[in-house]
Amino acid sequence: MQEKLKIMVVDDEQIVRESLYQWFKKFSHVVETAASGFEALEKLEKVPFDVLFVDIKMPKMSGLELLERVKQEYPDTSVVIITAYGSIASAVDAMKMGASDYLLKPFRPDQMTLVLEKIAGQRELLGKYRYVKGLLAEKTRFDNIIGQSEAMQVIFDLIPEVAQSDSSVLITGETGTGKELVAKAIHAKSHRANSPFIAINCGAMPESLLESELFGHQKGAFTGADKNRKGFLEVISGGTLFLDEIGEISAKMQVDLLRVLEEKKILRIGERHPIDVDFRLISSTLRDLEKEVAEGRFREDFFYRINVIRLEIPPLRKRRDDIPLLIRHFLRKYSHETTKQVDHVTNEALECLKQYPWPGNVRELENAIERAVVLSKSRTLDAQDFAFLGGARLRPDRPRDLREMEKRHVEEILQEEDWNISHAAQALGINRVTLHKMIKRYGLKRPE
Amino acid sequence: MNGSIGVLPIGKVPETACSAVAAHVRSVLGLEAAVLAPLAEPDYAFDRNRMQYNAATILRTLEAMPVPGCTKIVAVLNVDLFVPVFTHVFGEAREGGPCALVSLYRLGQDLHPERPPGPQILDRLLKVALHEAAHLFDLVHCFDDQCLMHFSMDLEALDRLPLSFCPTCKALLK
Repeated sequence: MQEKLKIMVVDDEQIVRESLYQWFKKFSHVVETAASGFEALEKLEKVPFDVLFVDIKMPKMSGLELLERVKQEYPDTSVVIITAYGSIASAVDAMKMGASDYLLKPFRPDQMTLVLEKIAGQRELLGKYRYVKGLLAEKTRFDNIIGQSEAMQVIFDLIPEVAQSDSSVLITGETGTGKELVAKAIHAKSHRANSPFIAINCGAMPESLLESELFGHQKGAFTGADKNRKGFLEVISGGTLFLDEIGEISAKMQVDLLRVLEEKKILRIGERHPIDVDFRLISSTLRDLEKEVAEGRFREDFFYRINVIRLEIPPLRKRRDDIPLLIRHFLRKYSHETTKQVDHVTNEALECLKQYPWPGNVRELENAIERAVVLSKSRTLDAQDFAFLGGARLRPDRPRDLREMEKRHVEEILQEEDWNISHAAQALGINRVTLHKMIKRYGLKRPE
Repeated sequence: MNGSIGVLPIGKVPETACSAVAAHVRSVLGLEAAVLAPLAEPDYAFDRNRMQYNAATILRTLEAMPVPGCTKIVAVLNVDLFVPVFTHVFGEAREGGPCALVSLYRLGQDLHPERPPGPQILDRLLKVALHEAAHLFDLVHCFDDQCLMHFSMDLEALDRLPLSFCPTCKALLK
């Protein structure tokens, strides 16, 4: 069980609260206790909990009443009912009301461990679901594009104009400049805004899969096609299709898409009857498609069809005036996400960030701010907090994942201090117990 | 890690069991250890409804009577221990606390209070005792199933554990 959970034990018997408190602490969980349903609700108002262990029989507010309130007001909090007076009826009631589990006191220690493992698994799934949902919600936002530089003002002026027409748009620019954000903004400002926006990365998909995803297929069209399936071009129905890295698609796919753009009809794979489709195509590429056309690697007729309107997104190094604005935006975003109050950068740090070449563009800047916020111990970030950028280009294995960054940092400090826990904790600015728990959490091991 | 451990027999416990625990505290944990004078059976902690002994009550009693010359105590018993909500425990200790308990009662069938425990029971006793003692030094459960700090679901799992700590837990104990 690797997941650290925030647990509340709700029981009117102090001895039960104490026993479970001690038990959960040994697994490094964060534990609080409450002697009544009311106290539990008060605590829930202040901070979220992952799971509540609730006794059924409590004065004033029973465990089942508390379960009902928690499920209404905090639906993401898991509730495990524990009782010494179990009955099939109360167990059925509890499960119907949304309890994650029902344990009859006394229970074997391993039963509790299994229940927690199950809940940790459920929470991991919930986290993934949230992440995907968040990405989908972000797609409809226009104000995600930040910039006051002259170069970006040109783009901002063009977006509403381009959105009015149905012509195909080709967006060019380096990786991390925000090509997809611009595509979403065009969609959001267009009459297609209430229909889907579907983004596909052509470079990340084999041709057969891309074909099936776009056109759909009939049952039996190929091995594994066990039922009819609509493709994105059919599902999109009035929306916008964004094809990222369109320079990567095959010659055959270029022909197929060209036909769709001209005829506004598609044939599902294995089907003979065409289906009408209505969508707007926005594409993007890193490649120099004119050159590809000149050298015969990209079809000229298809290129002109997708390149009716051209938008060039400038790299961050060509709009350095936007860097302070972007920093402020990302500081606000990550201070909120991490609940750390980091809201300033020193002039020296700002100057460093403005001088840095930003090969990864806005995406790289966002990652840098996120990392600095997470590791910061004060409200203000100074140049030292961005020291990692100095070697960033020399370290292609630099982790993007924040937990991985924290893990590496802790590991480095432990090695520097020869695994002296007291010294390492002092260097990290945390206490020994916290460091112990981090070592456990990340499974760090002293080299043999 | 500094200090000395007092191994405290409570009730009828084979002498060999206590001296083996003390010897392993010295060799595995690297701490001074001595077997203390035994205490009587903990009748005060007997729960008539459950016909078991409440480990939390015993711990509280021991915590209230510090033993001179010992930083921490590992008490060895031969009674069935429970903590409220759980059916039983092999041993019990509060994280960072002064006292730990370990019971021979559920570690095997062929145990006689007057005779030395067999090698399998002794092996289990030593594992539980060192595991609980390590909790006294702030160690929490370990994810590595080849570490003595890994939580054992049952006797089979306990038997699979080695009588040693993983390198991380070893480092944390220092």
